[in-house]
Amino acid sequence: MNKSTNPLDERIAPGELQDQGVHYVLDKIRAQRGYFITNTERDLSQSDFKNRIMPHTQLLAAKPRNDAGYLSIEITGGASVHVDMLRKQINPLEKLEVLSQGMPDTMFQTLCRGINLFGYRPYPENVIRATVQSFARYVHVWRVFDFLNHIPNMIPVFEEVKKAGRILEPSICFSTGKEHTDEYYVNKVGQILEVTGEDIVLCIKNHAGLGTPKRIGELVEAILQKYPDLIIHYHGHNTDGADIGRVVYAVRKGAKIVDASDHAFTGFYGPPPILTVLDLLDDYGYHAAGIDRQAVIATSNVLRPEREYYKDFESQFLGFDPSVQIHKLPGGATGSSFEQAVKGDFLHRMPEILQNELPRVQLDLGNWWSVTPGSQILWTTAVNNVLKGTRYKDVSDDLKNLLLGRYGEFPFYRPADEIYAAVFGPGWKEIVECDTCYQKIEDVDLDVEKKVLEHRLGRAATDDELVLYLQHPNDAVDFFKFEAKYGKTWVLSPKIWFRKGGFGLGEKFEVPDVFGRLHSIEIGPQRRTKSGDATTYLIIDHHQEPIITEMEQEDAPGRKKAVLSLKEIEAAAKAGEFRSQITGTVNEVCVTEGEEVSVGQVLLVLEAMKMLNNVTSEVAGKVTELFVSAGDKVAVGDALLNISKA
Amino acid sequence: MGVKERKIKKVLIANRGEIALRIMRTVQELGLDAVVIYEKPDREAYYVRLANDAILIGDGPRRDYLDIDKIIWAAKKTNADAIHPGYGFLAENADFSAACEKAGITFIGPPPQVIRDLGNKVVARQIVGKAGIPFIPGTGDLVRGSAGINDAFAFAKKYGYPVMLKASSGGGGRGIRKVVDEADLIVQLPLARAEALSAFNDESIYMEKFIESPRHVEIQILADHHGNIIHLGSRDCSIQRRHQKLLEIAPADLPADVLNAMYDCAIKASRESGYINAGTVEFLVNAATNEFWFMEMNTRLQVEHTVTEELTGIDIVREQIRIAEGQALNIPENRVTLLGKAIQVRINAEDPKNNFMPDGGKRVEVYRSPGGPGVRLDGAVYQGFKVPTDYDSLLVKMTIRGFNWEQTLQRLKRALNGFLIVGPKTTIPFYLAICDDLDFQLGRFDTGYLETHPEVFNYPEPEREVAKLAKLIAEIHTKKVNPYAV
Repeated sequence: MNKSTNPLDERIAPGELQDQGVHYVLDKIRAQRGYFITNTERDLSQSDFKNRIMPHTQLLAAKPRNDAGYLSIEITGGASVHVDMLRKQINPLEKLEVLSQGMPDTMFQTLCRGINLFGYRPYPENVIRATVQSFARYVHVWRVFDFLNHIPNMIPVFEEVKKAGRILEPSICFSTGKEHTDEYYVNKVGQILEVTGEDIVLCIKNHAGLGTPKRIGELVEAILQKYPDLIIHYHGHNTDGADIGRVVYAVRKGAKIVDASDHAFTGFYGPPPILTVLDLLDDYGYHAAGIDRQAVIATSNVLRPEREYYKDFESQFLGFDPSVQIHKLPGGATGSSFEQAVKGDFLHRMPEILQNELPRVQLDLGNWWSVTPGSQILWTTAVNNVLKGTRYKDVSDDLKNLLLGRYGEFPFYRPADEIYAAVFGPGWKEIVECDTCYQKIEDVDLDVEKKVLEHRLGRAATDDELVLYLQHPNDAVDFFKFEAKYGKTWVLSPKIWFRKGGFGLGEKFEVPDVFGRLHSIEIGPQRRTKSGDATTYLIIDHHQEPIITEMEQEDAPGRKKAVLSLKEIEAAAKAGEFRSQITGTVNEVCVTEGEEVSVGQVLLVLEAMKMLNNVTSEVAGKVTELFVSAGDKVAVGDALLNISKA
Repeated sequence: MGVKERKIKKVLIANRGEIALRIMRTVQELGLDAVVIYEKPDREAYYVRLANDAILIGDGPRRDYLDIDKIIWAAKKTNADAIHPGYGFLAENADFSAACEKAGITFIGPPPQVIRDLGNKVVARQIVGKAGIPFIPGTGDLVRGSAGINDAFAFAKKYGYPVMLKASSGGGGRGIRKVVDEADLIVQLPLARAEALSAFNDESIYMEKFIESPRHVEIQILADHHGNIIHLGSRDCSIQRRHQKLLEIAPADLPADVLNAMYDCAIKASRESGYINAGTVEFLVNAATNEFWFMEMNTRLQVEHTVTEELTGIDIVREQIRIAEGQALNIPENRVTLLGKAIQVRINAEDPKNNFMPDGGKRVEVYRSPGGPGVRLDGAVYQGFKVPTDYDSLLVKMTIRGFNWEQTLQRLKRALNGFLIVGPKTTIPFYLAICDDLDFQLGRFDTGYLETHPEVFNYPEPEREVAKLAKLIAEIHTKKVNPYAV
């Protein structure tokens, strides 16, 4: 047990990192005989609530969480940066600013996908650096990983984190199978240390919660045997219900930091409950440094009543899923996979996809780590293979890029020739010979990008806004426009934000605005205008105001929805009438009206399930009509463009 | 001047909007009945609802309010024994005053001849000239055709461009045009004439020397039938747009000797013209030298009479009625206190950024007004009020009273921020910008203020944060789901 009796002395506040530096802080962690806890709120939200836990709820919990004494709280990163803008309508950087005011004594942690940042495909190096610089203002601990454990993919982030004086936490992604030996991982740790130097925290990133407690304990032991001063941070998921065991083994074998989160919100695919970890390890004689157990409990007491507002975002299937050891889906993708299965009407095929095809695809493609963006590639490929009845037909561009080594080298083995043949067709050998290379993404001209953003917004943009735009251009612009129209809506409680079916007449709530001014809003009567718009009378601060809600005109001419089968859509494409085969977003329009196109030319790029899909021309001719532009959402059967055959 | 006192019992207010309401309030305070007239577009107006009796006089717009016969008919029909003309419309029309006299109805204002004399700027200048009051050099009425143009050319040549063209019967800042050179003069002369005809039913115009960026200071006077004439101090009306006053301050910030000289001139001018009732003598003041010139005398209640009332505590409308009844003024000199400061702002449904374009036709969805110490409101507006397209865009006049200039400004700002007007654009954010301007705070302003301080137009127009949130809440309510969350 640690000699110190005052948990406050054991804590490491953001100010201490600022004043004393990374080396001092890491020495303090090393000197601590107990272990530290990171509250992985972000991963909990992503894994068990489809990333929807709102700032309002985070602010409710801020005080007790700050009092609880975590080494850090993971409150950003992963998919959350995107979802903040897409579904929560908050600026991800402003969120950190607001939360840091509520949790001034707790370090913030992020999860960064290396070259993929907080997105799904590689970014130019200058975008990566600008992004890290912006986020490092608020984020003290940077967990960085690459889905191929390919170190070059992480170096720009490493460098910027160090430059910013923040704690760098490179990860080794963990999986199981015959290639995943202690020897491989210890060797990988060595490669990382060569690049970073010794002032790091090393994360064992067990994103699917794989392996037994014993297996994790062995890995920790093996790494520490070679690098005894290394601070190991164990990150796991409780998908199979056994992560507490893995946490306990990790700590018993020498891990200094472990991940868990608040029990009021813990589910099945995210982190295990903090209190359980705390009490179990206490019984083994391990002291949780800095932790105020009562504040841990108080946090959940505050959070518990809020959970009901999030029930729509909990997994369709409640209960642990020990079959994760077979399909290896990361906790962060499990819920959304089931969501897609429901939306895509293939729920009944899930056992086949998860237990047969997905493990097979993993082995086919090299048995690397099923984590973003690799997990999406594996998942999409397995789903396509099953639904289309033929394997590796019409695969995503991301898989093609992966097979051509664009994202980095295969860690264990290259996929078999048959896979290449199925993907690239008869000429695959030539394609592979000519095109295989690591992709170098050219820097973008930040000044030009800023001008484009400002043009789209019709106003000046800040550097932070540019950073967000560079990551998710269309969604960022949509968000900025939303914010201009609706203001800072993150002040709204989930009870309002997620309300379904409308409010009751006379229902009244107190709403604080971003300036802290409290307003009362009461729902009054509503009437519809002839054009279908609605006027809602709200009594705001005792004065009735009519608020007009414009309803979109459905079935606008030219974009009439057609119920067409895939076969009909394909037949229409051969006639030059292109309709969407998927539900998604137009990522890029590559042609203009009047342009001459040839067979095979990319017309536009659609994004769905985080994957990019090219729509290529089946005919040669001239683009006569263009119905969509970048950022538009399209459904199956929606008209995209027409080409008159030459 | 032996005048028989004649008690007034019922007053017809020959006006509309905020001034009808303002007059009505005093009439009702005196325990008298107030009758109002209205044109059809005004049928929902606030003043119509609050009057003891309201008579529809026609479809309008505007022409019925200018129809003397109809108004006399309305007064007879309702047994009104007095008419108050307010400002604008027939307020300075001598024929109207005469028609009242002929019909045996007391006209609450000066006798016809006084209105006629002072209403004609050329005659007025002769009168004050006789009294030895300095006035701005100018021509007589410019006759139609080449003779008039030649007179104008000659005058402009003598005094130099720019010069001012003014409607001889003008007032209220209308019918005034600045002319920069000969070519401009040829263009503007017919325009000024047409404007004078349409606004004042008199196409006479004359020319005056242009005084560069003077201050506009006026003296309020009261004169009874018994030869008593008193002044109620000064008002600074320098801040104007297109010669229309925007805000007025009492008293003007001038040295005591200058003000005393102006009071003296104002009383002399009133006496020389045989003035009776409430009137205003307007002067232009050289901002650097404090030299001043008589400009005109307004033979009516001014829009900005409120600042004088707030400063002195004297109800000018009440005094007008008493004077019209033939009573002698009984305000001892030592009761006319001119201590402290009062300021009036006209809150109009206009967009100052767009050349004060009226936002007519818009509905005031929400109206919340400030209150508390030193705040007086004279308004036409209410929640649901539709900004008229046929009349002026004045919503409410706010008059602020304070112990000194600093407190008055702070109070003005506080009260302006206390308004919540949803619907039309208003001049409120523009006044707030002026409150924050250092020159204004230091009292450094003249009639060129808005031209020399374009930055006061660069105010933000932030939408209320709660209004934005409300938009989303209404959308979640309407669409039964939050489309931005799923």
